Amino acid sequence: MRTIPGKASAAPLRIFVASLAWVTLCAQGALAQPGGKPGPMQSGSHASAPAGAQPQPFDVSQLFATSCGWCHMNGGRQDGKGPRLMGTALSDEQIMSRIRTGKVGAMPAFSGAFTEEQLRAIVAYIRELKPLAKQ
Amino acid sequence: MKRGFIRASIFLAAGFAPGAPALAADVDFQRLLKADQEPQNWMTYHGSYKSWHYSALADISAENVRNLREAWSHVASRSVRGLQSYPLAVDGVLYYSGSYNQVWALDGATGRVLWQYKQKLNEDLVAKQTHSPYNRGIAIGYGNVYMGTLDGKLAAIDMKTGKLNWETKLVNSEKLTVGFTGAPLLVKDKVIIGAQGGEWPDRGPIFGVDAKSGKQLWRFYTVAGEADNGDARNTWLNDSWRTGGGGGWMAGGYDPETNSVWWGTANPAPLYDWSGPDYQTKGARPGDNLYTTSVILLDPDTGKLKGYHQELPHDAWDFDSATGEFIMLERDGKKYVVHPSKSGFVWVYDRSGKVQNVWRLIKHINFVKDIKSNGELVGRRDMTEGKHTNLCPFIAGGMSWNMGSYNPKTGLLYKVGNEWCMDLEIKKTTPVLEPMAQLNIGADFNITHPQGDKAHGHVSARDPITGELKWEVKFPEPPLASLLSTGGNVLFVPDARGWLRAYDARDGKELWSHNNGQGHNGGIITYKAKGKQYVAVMTGWGGLAGDDYAAFFGGNFAQMPKDSGVIKVFALR
Repeated sequence: MRTIPGKASAAPLRIFVASLAWVTLCAQGALAQPGGKPGPMQSGSHASAPAGAQPQPFDVSQLFATSCGWCHMNGGRQDGKGPRLMGTALSDEQIMSRIRTGKVGAMPAFSGAFTEEQLRAIVAYIRELKPLAKQ
Repeated sequence: MKRGFIRASIFLAAGFAPGAPALAADVDFQRLLKADQEPQNWMTYHGSYKSWHYSALADISAENVRNLREAWSHVASRSVRGLQSYPLAVDGVLYYSGSYNQVWALDGATGRVLWQYKQKLNEDLVAKQTHSPYNRGIAIGYGNVYMGTLDGKLAAIDMKTGKLNWETKLVNSEKLTVGFTGAPLLVKDKVIIGAQGGEWPDRGPIFGVDAKSGKQLWRFYTVAGEADNGDARNTWLNDSWRTGGGGGWMAGGYDPETNSVWWGTANPAPLYDWSGPDYQTKGARPGDNLYTTSVILLDPDTGKLKGYHQELPHDAWDFDSATGEFIMLERDGKKYVVHPSKSGFVWVYDRSGKVQNVWRLIKHINFVKDIKSNGELVGRRDMTEGKHTNLCPFIAGGMSWNMGSYNPKTGLLYKVGNEWCMDLEIKKTTPVLEPMAQLNIGADFNITHPQGDKAHGHVSARDPITGELKWEVKFPEPPLASLLSTGGNVLFVPDARGWLRAYDARDGKELWSHNNGQGHNGGIITYKAKGKQYVAVMTGWGGLAGDDYAAFFGGNFAQMPKDSGVIKVFALR
């Protein structure tokens, strides 16, 4: 199978990062897995260091389409898995509280995932929702 | 929710009472290889390595199923999003898992609790998960009940005492948010399990773990493989393999003759890409994105990739291949593997993974014009940023993740099909990786009726190789639970409204029905305890597919509880 030119040098770094994660977790006693070979194979170490990740201009409608739109259909304009958000009677603080803490069985808690700035932007996005023009 | 660490293993004195069932004998690989020879048991998620979801038991038959009555039930605590798992039955004892990684062992004849197990969980983490807190199944072997946990561990629970024997951390769920919900598969002396994640930035790993010691033996990254094992990063330009996806989130299958584990993988992230037809060079993840939305063949001993077929190159529709059983068949001296998929198509392979046929189970498909019998996609609908209407099927799939049933007596495959569509607006999204990974969807969307039709579901009986229709029953809403067919020529269909229905497997005539009081979204088996045949079915509603029903279909879905789970067990009166 073909490999990509220049990829070889990346492998040792990945292994090093994975090893660090392994050592850290072992030190915390988080693993029941026996030590020794075949060594660190936990999944997840790659996600902390995305290659080429650059600060992105923040666009709240993109954020909504990234993580919210599956349940709050049509960009939050329509009932779906989650309720319609357009025209909600909740206060700003109630909306932010629900996003932070979620609701068991219905909505995950996003505390820690979104910044306060992002939470306020989501509230503003919800407040500005209007019905889409018919196509 | 208050942070809570719970671990309890309660061995109830009642389990030792006179007349209690003998606790199950050990299950090992040799016994699983010959599972057909003991139809009184259901020892693995798919029933056997053939993945037929069929039992030869025939005491309950098309002729007497009208006399079926509820024998006993057991209420599962904390059943948030209902019971989505599969019960297993071994030597008169029934084992099943529920939400928050709880497990119960029950007397198969009476439902008396022998033990219960509650996994210690980081509840703060669980509260942040989207595809949670349900569990979809367990495996049994070498004296253990194996279960993948929401926080990324494989746990081995002593099947006699309900005490934790060992647990092995496999996924850094605290970082990636996802863990395990799918059932493990026991092959030889290894437990194989796939992680969650299509729309999540992990690399969908599948793990092999020593069944006795818990030692992790291998890992296969379904996203782009690994440097020494199927390196496919060249199918993800711009290092986009790091955006991930590809979870093998349902239990795969095993072909003993070729010693190959067959596993289906999820879509890449984000679900929807804005590349349009230029997907080989543009968009979020340019390239074919191996090994997402693929069927992969692994060596169970080493985790080495033996072969693969990517069912949808550069999946831009979330029609992953992680759903769908691997039905091992033989016809006219030729051996096949039949794999239904979320796309609404059914793939037929030979045992080396070469496509032999592709047929469609549902009517409303337009994400492609067609897929040829050799597996080639024709007329792809690759979407660009902006609005698109009437994409079929809906994101929940032409088939959902629950299982069909193949009956060797009728030679027919019974499978639920879903007829529904969607409108969407594709947006350029940026994956959220810090401090915890988040969903990466890539669109706003809503469910719609197919043009000129009303959304609905059906159960059809078809030739598994050609797709030829024998009979079909329509449902006002797609059933979301698994099916069971038996040697008594009965097909059981647990429907969405809560009715468990029995049909004549030969002609689709309805023979019996019973209202279980809430929708079904899990497994169904039959087994024997103390010489009597029982049928056990999971009840309870809620989940990524069912949660749309209240707003879209209305009716009794608007009041159906989504935090209730009961296993119902039936026998002839």
